[in-house]
Amino acid sequence: MTVSLTLENITAHYGKTMVLEDLDLHVGEGELVSLLGSSGCGKTTTLRLVAGFLEPTSGRIRLGERDLTRLPSHARDIGLVFQTYALFPHLSVRDNVAFGLKQRGIATSDRNKRAMDMIERVGLSGFADRYPANLSGGQRQRVALARALVIDPPLLMFDEPLSNLDAKLRVEMRVEIRRLQQANGTTALYVTHDQEEAFSISDRVAIMNKGRIMQLDTPEVLYSRPANAFVADFVGFENVIEAVATGEEGGMILAEAGGAQLKLPKSHFELPAKEFLLAARADGLLVAETGEGLPATLGLRTYLGRAYQYVCETRAGNLTANGPLGAPLETGANAVLIPQPEQCCVLHREAR
Amino acid sequence: MKHRLLAWGLALPAILLVAIFLGLPVIETLLTTFADPKGAFAPYIKFFNSGFRRTVLWRTMEVAVITTVLSVLIGFVTAWVVANAPAKAKSYLIIAAVFPLLTGVVVRSFAWLVILGKNGILNSLLLALGVISEPFSMLYTQGAVIVAMVYLFVPLMILTCVGVLEGIPQDLTDAAASLGATQWGIFKQVILPMAVPGLIVGAVLVFTGSFTSYATPQLLGGERQMMMGTFLHQRAMVVFDWVGASTIAAIMVVVTLATVLLMSRLARKLNPVAG
Amino acid sequence: MKRKLHPALIAFAVLVFIFLTGPLVIIIGSSLSSSEFLEFPPQGLSLRWYENAFDISAFRRTMGTSFFLAVAGTALSMLVGVPAAYAMARYRVELPGWLGNVFVLPVLIPEIVLGFSIMKTITTGYEVPVLPSLLIGHALLVLPYCVRVTGASLNSFDFSIEEAAVSLGCPRWKAFFVVILPNIRAGLIAAFILAFITSLNDVSISLFLTGPGVSTLPIQLLAHMEQFFDPTIASVSVVLMFITVGVMAVVERTLGLTFLTK
Repeated sequence: MTVSLTLENITAHYGKTMVLEDLDLHVGEGELVSLLGSSGCGKTTTLRLVAGFLEPTSGRIRLGERDLTRLPSHARDIGLVFQTYALFPHLSVRDNVAFGLKQRGIATSDRNKRAMDMIERVGLSGFADRYPANLSGGQRQRVALARALVIDPPLLMFDEPLSNLDAKLRVEMRVEIRRLQQANGTTALYVTHDQEEAFSISDRVAIMNKGRIMQLDTPEVLYSRPANAFVADFVGFENVIEAVATGEEGGMILAEAGGAQLKLPKSHFELPAKEFLLAARADGLLVAETGEGLPATLGLRTYLGRAYQYVCETRAGNLTANGPLGAPLETGANAVLIPQPEQCCVLHREAR
Repeated sequence: MKHRLLAWGLALPAILLVAIFLGLPVIETLLTTFADPKGAFAPYIKFFNSGFRRTVLWRTMEVAVITTVLSVLIGFVTAWVVANAPAKAKSYLIIAAVFPLLTGVVVRSFAWLVILGKNGILNSLLLALGVISEPFSMLYTQGAVIVAMVYLFVPLMILTCVGVLEGIPQDLTDAAASLGATQWGIFKQVILPMAVPGLIVGAVLVFTGSFTSYATPQLLGGERQMMMGTFLHQRAMVVFDWVGASTIAAIMVVVTLATVLLMSRLARKLNPVAG
Repeated sequence: MKRKLHPALIAFAVLVFIFLTGPLVIIIGSSLSSSEFLEFPPQGLSLRWYENAFDISAFRRTMGTSFFLAVAGTALSMLVGVPAAYAMARYRVELPGWLGNVFVLPVLIPEIVLGFSIMKTITTGYEVPVLPSLLIGHALLVLPYCVRVTGASLNSFDFSIEEAAVSLGCPRWKAFFVVILPNIRAGLIAAFILAFITSLNDVSISLFLTGPGVSTLPIQLLAHMEQFFDPTIASVSVVLMFITVGVMAVVERTLGLTFLTK
């Protein structure tokens, strides 16, 4: 049974502070959507609203045909994986996994069989009689996953499930989560502050800020074509330069920025207006001694391993740009910053 | 809103228990002292005009202060040893401190009755050693009351101080040592300032406990060494002077609350962590 | 790394511990005496004073009362105190900060004042019988332990466990029993035991609330001491000490004793 999750015009307050403002979100059947943002952006609030731990001030939450908005949490039938795992310390792995089945009044023998099957599926056979205190972080996470999955919920939700694991295990577990979610075809909502994690496992990602969704798109689109300056900055376009289009010349757009003329291939950029913003990653501005680009005076140089990074003083402001490893340039030297189309994008000025 | 209602609902029975069976009776006791037909403060004027009553109050203060000072000193030094003792010894020492604490006041005061009595152990010992030629009663003296009270409160102080000392992070003393502080310097400049707020909390417990005690002064002080607690009981249950007893109760409440408030403020002020 | 201890400090501590345990040893010794008087060391050994203690019906009766009060008073106090502690830990935002102080009042107000006031207002004023008055007095007396000790384990409690239970289909009220209570068991036991012992040893509250036919063991001991000075008291004291030892063993088993220094 796959269903979709719909949030309509959700507004939520915490005390007197508004934490979500008129939020709309649709997660399609079998889709995994991540809510991504820094702490306080409203991503966890959204999840807690769907779980029923918070009540929205206004708006509706629907899961398939069911209206969840006023339904008590325990009747919502949602599998939830917590940041702290929230395993029951007084119950064995088996009883932890069987807990949800017990609440559903499933007979002991059937319950144990289903729990054991699920424990096996998450790769923990042999650990069924252990207690959470005797498990490693990764194992606990698997138990939490098994516990949420075994009740066969129409919706799975994850609240920063990997943030307590070390880097290597995080990668391993996120693959595992994606595998199990796709195998079951369960609709899923995933909350995280880790961009790589969100991008790697999601069908779509919603980048949130101050209680609003700034952009909801596939990771690919978010990464290459952010809709506004906030998302651009979030996905790593560190430099935002104000530019004005002045004309065209042989497949290139001519633009003026910081007193210099820039040439941007027409095939890569679709200008929103004559006056626009050019957003560039550090890799999107190549530091070179000569060439056609933004004149800059180089400041502090740092070594990144794959490149040198420079703090650059330009008439368009202070920018961060990378230069090749072969020829490090000295502080105080004059250079030009040449835009690299693949690592740049254009934004509407009002989207700042 | 729903949560707030639920929260208050859960706390309500306990609030009611305190309000009805503590708030109401204690307030009534306090009000009794102001409702005297001879004038609002008549019971207090009577109390402070009576030399005997003033002596009782003064004696109680004196006993409580001496008990507190002795308990804090003995408790802190002992706790220092306990906290720095090897793990095994430490657990036995803590048991040895906890056990008396869990034994009742009556039993522990009774022990001193056996020790200090005319035919008691101390007298037999002193006689045998030839220090004294005939037994004398050490009971019903201020000294007896103080010894028994110190006995009562030292375990409490030891446990409080061990907790305080163990709460001081090792990193801090290590840092002080790395900066060139001597052992004594570390003690004086790091450990003591950090321990003082905890010591004050412990001292308040001892002071209020001894100031309001009943069983110990009753058994070891008797009529001769009347203290506020025994005096209250005598006024209430022997003489049936409830206004007088309420006045004593009110003074005890004021002294106790004032001490707690002043000292907890002082402790907060001296707390280097809270700033 | 432990600090080096000066021998003088160690000697001092040894003396303090002799001071602490000596009197209790003396009580045990004198309870075993075969003579009519309290003496230490005892001249001859016998258990006659233990027999005597159990022969005196007042001791048997008051011990029963004391146990009843300690169990029922603590139970009553836990019944109202645990939900309050839960509410304060779970709903920190919804409840005012001063509420915690309300439940500490029974230790803040001098016990003897509380006993006197309950006698005056509740027993005499509202004519509540002696036993219920005693029960209420004891429940009040131990309330701070029930709320504070339970609260301490609830404050470190990860309430997402409760949410996990709810998300798995367990109603809130049921989650309290199947998930929260089992996981604060240590705190509950500690609270119960501290409360039980406090109640069992109480003098100042019971002092005013004992009437004809109803008394507690500590009060009976005080009364007995005023008339007799024989080893019976010592033997009753020893029985009480053994109960304490038993309780401590339970504490040690379930929690370890270090929780008392926290």
